[in-house]
Amino acid sequence: MRSSPLYLEPRLEPRLRSVLQATDFLHTLVDALGSPLNVVLPEQITENEERFRAVYQRHHLSGDLYFAHKANRSSALVRQLAVTGAGMDVASLAELQHVLGAGFTPDRIMATGPKNREFLWLAARAGVIVNLDSKAELESLAELVGKYVLPRVRVMLRLSAFQAPGVKVLSRPSRFGSHVSELDTLLDAVERHRDAVELIGVAYHLDTIGLPEKAVALETCIRVMNECQRRGLQPRAIDIGGGFGVNYLADGGQWERYTTELTNAVLGRRPALTWQGHGYGLRSESGTLRGALGLYPAHRPVAAEGYLDELLSYPAPSLGRPLATLLLENLYDLVIEPGRALVDQCGVALARVLEVRHTPTGDCLVRVEMNGGDVSLEEHGVLMDPVVIPRDGSRPAPDAEAVGVYLIGNLCLEADLITRRMVFLPGLPKPGDLLAFANTAGYFMDFSADHALQQPIARKVAAYQENGTWRWRLDEQYWPITCTGEQS
Amino acid sequence: MRYDSITDVIGNTPLVRISPAVHGLKNIDLYAKLEMLNPFGSVKDRAAWNMTRGGLATAMERGDSIVELSSGNTAKALAVIAGLHGLPFKSVTNRMKVPEIKDLLLLLGAEIEELPGQTECLDPTNTDDPLTRIHRVLSESETGYLHTDQYYSALNTEAHIAGTGPEILRDLDGHAPDYFIACVGTAGSSTGVATVLRGHNPAIDVVGLVAHKSDFIPGIRNIDEVHEVGLFDPATYDTIESVSADEAIDGMLTLVRRCGMLAGPTGGGAYHGAVRHLRKVDAELTERRTAVFIVCDRVESYMSYVRKRRPELLNQPPRQNSVAGLAPAELTAATVIDVESAQKWIAEDHPLVIDLRGPFAYAALHIEGSINIVDELFDELLHGGLPFGRSRPVLLACPVGEKSVRYAALLTRMGHPDVRSLSGGIIGWRDAGAPLVRD
Ligand SMILES: Cc1ncc(COP(=O)(O)O)c(C=O)c1O
Ligand SMILES: Cc1ncc(COP(=O)(O)O)c(C=O)c1O
Repeated sequence: MRSSPLYLEPRLEPRLRSVLQATDFLHTLVDALGSPLNVVLPEQITENEERFRAVYQRHHLSGDLYFAHKANRSSALVRQLAVTGAGMDVASLAELQHVLGAGFTPDRIMATGPKNREFLWLAARAGVIVNLDSKAELESLAELVGKYVLPRVRVMLRLSAFQAPGVKVLSRPSRFGSHVSELDTLLDAVERHRDAVELIGVAYHLDTIGLPEKAVALETCIRVMNECQRRGLQPRAIDIGGGFGVNYLADGGQWERYTTELTNAVLGRRPALTWQGHGYGLRSESGTLRGALGLYPAHRPVAAEGYLDELLSYPAPSLGRPLATLLLENLYDLVIEPGRALVDQCGVALARVLEVRHTPTGDCLVRVEMNGGDVSLEEHGVLMDPVVIPRDGSRPAPDAEAVGVYLIGNLCLEADLITRRMVFLPGLPKPGDLLAFANTAGYFMDFSADHALQQPIARKVAAYQENGTWRWRLDEQYWPITCTGEQS
Repeated sequence: MRYDSITDVIGNTPLVRISPAVHGLKNIDLYAKLEMLNPFGSVKDRAAWNMTRGGLATAMERGDSIVELSSGNTAKALAVIAGLHGLPFKSVTNRMKVPEIKDLLLLLGAEIEELPGQTECLDPTNTDDPLTRIHRVLSESETGYLHTDQYYSALNTEAHIAGTGPEILRDLDGHAPDYFIACVGTAGSSTGVATVLRGHNPAIDVVGLVAHKSDFIPGIRNIDEVHEVGLFDPATYDTIESVSADEAIDGMLTLVRRCGMLAGPTGGGAYHGAVRHLRKVDAELTERRTAVFIVCDRVESYMSYVRKRRPELLNQPPRQNSVAGLAPAELTAATVIDVESAQKWIAEDHPLVIDLRGPFAYAALHIEGSINIVDELFDELLHGGLPFGRSRPVLLACPVGEKSVRYAALLTRMGHPDVRSLSGGIIGWRDAGAPLVRD
C-alpha cells in the first residue's frame, strides 16, 4: 500500500508568498549570485514590530522592543529597524559594531549575554545599556568606567533561578544571569558602584515555551523592583527577554498526522519516515515509546505577539492579578528582546537541485547545492517542507504523484543530510529547479553556516517591492531610505 | 455497613443501568460502573491502594516518601493513603492543568513538582521523557522512595483483575457483557477489566477511548501519548477510538443532567464513546445485548475546565451595577480631571481618593492620603450599592485612567453627584512629576 503524502507545508503570509511566486526573479538571482542564496524581506520586519507594539497598546504598556540580533546577521534587516523606533539587542562586540554603523543611537542599543572586556568597554564608551550577566561583570564594568573615566553606564541586572510559590515549578538551570537568591549582595554592589552605573531595570530570558515558568520569573522581577525602590534605587523597566516563538506550519492537521505517523514508524508499525530509522529523540523499548520528541513544536497556534499577549494576560502566581496589570499599576515599563519572532516571514533560503537519484533500496535522493549548515532547520528541530520552484515556470501537473525524497547536501559526507526525514513533495523535482526553504530568517540562515570544503557561504540579498514588482539589492547595499518605493 | 478502615471502603462500586429513554439504544442494556463512588473519588483508589499496601510497612519503618508521576486522581488517592500512614507524598507532573486538583493536593499535604516546559531553542541534550527523568532523580536521591510507577506497575492492572472485573461479572449474574468501553490513562483499569471479561466471553468487543490529538481531557492520554504507557498493549482493545473534549463534556452533561450521575469528563467521554459505538450495531441486532462503561470520577473538580471550554454552560444572569452594562454615552459623560486640576481639587475640597490598583502596587507608591480598594473588590462592593455617602466627592485613580473612568460613570449612574476620574491615571500623575509616597 502506498502511504499518503505527509506534507508539512510552511505558513506563508502574503509578502513571503508573493516573492515565492516570482519564479523568474528568484531563478535570475540564483543564476547570478549562486546557490545557496538567502533572501531577506526587510519590509516584513516593520510589520512584525507593529504587531508587537499593538499588544503593548492593548495592555496600555510602555517600554522598548530590542531585536535580538543573533537571529540574523543581515544588515538590511537591522537598517530597516533603524528607521522605526525599535532597539537592538547585541550579544557580541561585532554585533555592537554592526548596529552602531547601521545608525542606532546608544539609547536604542542593549548589550546582553556574557561579555568580554573589549565588548564591555565599547558598550560603556558608546553609552549603550548594559544588561549585566553577573556580579563579576558589574565589577569589571565599574573598573573600566573608573579607569578610563567614562560616563555613568545605564545597566540592567539579568536574573535567573526563580522560585515559584505553592507548587515547585522546576526550570532548567540556566548558565546565564545572577541567582535571585544572591540579590542582596548584587544590589549592595550596585549601590557601591553608584558613580559608575545607574540601575534602570531588571531582566530575564528563559529558554522555555512554558508560560508558568515565565510568569514566576516576571512576578519575581516585579518584587525585585519593589525591593530596589525600597533601597532608594529607581529602576523603571522589566526586560523579559525573547522566546516568543514562531508558528511555522500552515496546517495543524498536517503536523498532528505527521507526528502520529512518526510515532508509528518508531514503533515499527509503518515504513520508516526517516533516514535509517532516526527517531528525533523517540525510541521503542519492547513496544513502548520512550524518549522525548526533540522537535520544535512547528505548529503553534499561539506564537510571537500572540504569545506575548497570553503571557501578559496570565495571572501572577502569588499576587493573582494579570501580569500586564501588575506591570501597569506598579508603573513599570516592559522591555522585550524578540529574535526569532521578529523575523518571522522575513526570509527564504534558496538552493539549486543538482541531481535526482533512486537508490537500489528504493529511496529517492535529491542532491542540492547547499549543505546542512546553510539551512539549519534540522539542527534546530524545525520540520517544514521546502517549496519547489520549477526552472521552466511550470507547476506540477494536478495528477502528478507525490514523492517522498531525502534531501542531501554538497559536502560528500554521509552525515550531510539537509533533512533526516523523508520530505514529501507534490512532484519529483528536476535538476535546475530551486528548493525554497521558507521562513528561515530566524536562526536558520547564517547561524551555523561555514566554509567547509571551501564551498561558498550563501550570499544574502534584500528583496523589496516597488510598484508591485520585486526588486533586490545585495544585503550590504540596502538602505531603507533608497528603497521606499518612491524612487531609487 | 461498618468498616475498620477507610481503605476497606475501596471497591464494590455499583453498576447502574442508563435509561433507554436517555441513550436511545433499542437492543442494548447500557450500564455504568460507578468508580466515582470510591472513597477518595475515583477509579484510581483501587490502583493506588494495590500499588502501596504491600510496601507500606517497610516504607513506614524507613520513613520513605511515596512518589508518583501524576497530576490527577492517582496523586489524590496516594496523597490520602500517604497521609493515613504518616508518610510524605510527592507528585511529579508535567503540568498541573486542573487548578482544583492542584489545590486539593496541596490541602492534602502533597508536595508537587512541575517539570519544565519545552525549550524554545532545541537542546539536543534534553531527550528524556518525564518517566525516565523520574527514574534518574530517584536513583540519584539519598532518601528512600516508594515509587508506585503506575504506568508500568502490574499491581495497577491487578487491582482491576481482582476487583473491578469480577464485580461486573457478579452484578451481571455471572455473565460477561458483550461490549466494554473505557477511557485509557495508564490502561490499568481497561486492561484489568478486559482481561477478566474476555476470559468469560472471548467474543466481547472492547473499546479503548483516547483523547483527540489536539485536545486535552484530564486523566486520559491522546493517541500518541498512549504509546508511552508501559501497561498499554494495543491487543487489549478491539478498537481504539478518540473523543474530543467537547464530546466528553457533552457526555458528561447527559450523565449529570439526565442520569443523576455526577460524573467527570472521562466518564462523559466513555458514555459518549459507548453510545457512538453501540449505535452503529444496535439497528442490526436481533437479540438483547449488554454493554458496560466506566465512570472514573466526579464532576466537581472540573468546574474551571468547563468554564474555560464551555463558559456558556455556567452562564449567570447579568449582575446589577456592573461596568459591563454601561452605554458609550455614559462613559463619555463621566467627569475626568487632569493631574494639575486634581492636585488643586485635593488641596481644596479633600475628595476621597480611591486607588483601584492592586495592594502590592499601592504599597510601593501612591498618592498621599489615598485609600486602596482594588478594582475586583470595588466591583464586588458596587453590586451591593454605594459604599460611601453622596456628600463626599470622590476621585478615582487607576494605572492609566481607563478603568477609573468606567467606575466614575457607574457611580454617576448609581446617583453619586461628584465623582471624577484621574485622567492618565497614576502613570500620568508620575509623568507629570506629581508626588507619590511610600508609607
Ligand atoms: C538574552 C536573550 N535575549 C533574546 C533572545 C532571543 O530569543 P528568541 O529568538 O527566542 O526570541 C535570546 C536568545 O538566545 C537571548 O539569549
Ligand atoms: C479521570 C480519569 N479518567 C480515566 C482514567 C483512566 O484510568 P486508567 O489509568 O486505569 O487507564 C484516569 C486515570 O488516570 C483518570 O484520572
